[in-house]
Amino acid sequence: MLRKFIHILFLPCSKATMLMEKRNAKAISQKEDWQLSMHMKICKWCRAYEEKLKILDDILKRKLSQKENTEINESDIQGVKNKVLEKLNL
Amino acid sequence: MTKNEVLKSWVEQYSGPLLKRAAYLLSDKVEAEDLVQEVFLAAYSSYDSFEGKSQPLTWLTAILNRKAADFYRKKYKSDPEIRLDHFFDETGSWKNDGVLNDWNVSEKEPELLDNKDFSKILEDCIEDLPSRWKIPLKMYYLQEKKAPEVSQELKISATNLWKILQRSRMQLRECLDINWFTNL
Repeated sequence: MLRKFIHILFLPCSKATMLMEKRNAKAISQKEDWQLSMHMKICKWCRAYEEKLKILDDILKRKLSQKENTEINESDIQGVKNKVLEKLNL
Repeated sequence: MTKNEVLKSWVEQYSGPLLKRAAYLLSDKVEAEDLVQEVFLAAYSSYDSFEGKSQPLTWLTAILNRKAADFYRKKYKSDPEIRLDHFFDETGSWKNDGVLNDWNVSEKEPELLDNKDFSKILEDCIEDLPSRWKIPLKMYYLQEKKAPEVSQELKISATNLWKILQRSRMQLRECLDINWFTNL
């Protein structure tokens, strides 16, 4: 009960998890940062989530910067080349 | 070299990397092929603005990013409605304790991606996201987390980008939790 009350007063978890995104991208305002810090002090759920958020961010950083789709094969590439050369009349 | 010769050599050299990136961004081979054609058509018509200051592939990739953003904007004209009621109750508190599950990865984390099974599950979890979230998420990481650029290019508000990232990540957390971390 107290937990719910505090959450509503300070910041609900649904909003706190959004502010974590802003903090993660260093785009959080001072006031929001303070609100989030207060929230984290009293909420073990959001603390647990933030830990996983860091792991996810790290994994995604490495995964999503690989920039490649492996399902593309040589004949797909050749197909595109041909179409472009034809369209541009080269 | 004439303009036509240069363009021809670019098509030969860069169709591969561009197509792979486009397919990765859009998760759709056919749409990716169309996109790459548009990139070369645009490069042809704005060839004069290429001053040779950057590598051709860098310039072409910048065009590709813009075209991918156009594609996204055309496809999703209105702001998305992002519901969080799968995770939170009406007071905005967590609905269940799944988030407390111990992932226990601190030491093993660097090796996680080397694990083929984990990598596959992660890919599946990412691809399961709706494409209107997936594209911004991928662009966000491809552009080294420069949120203002991403929201500007995709013409979504900053707030909406945070919500998309939040919602995507909550889903990825749950997906990995179910399919990997508590399934070992």
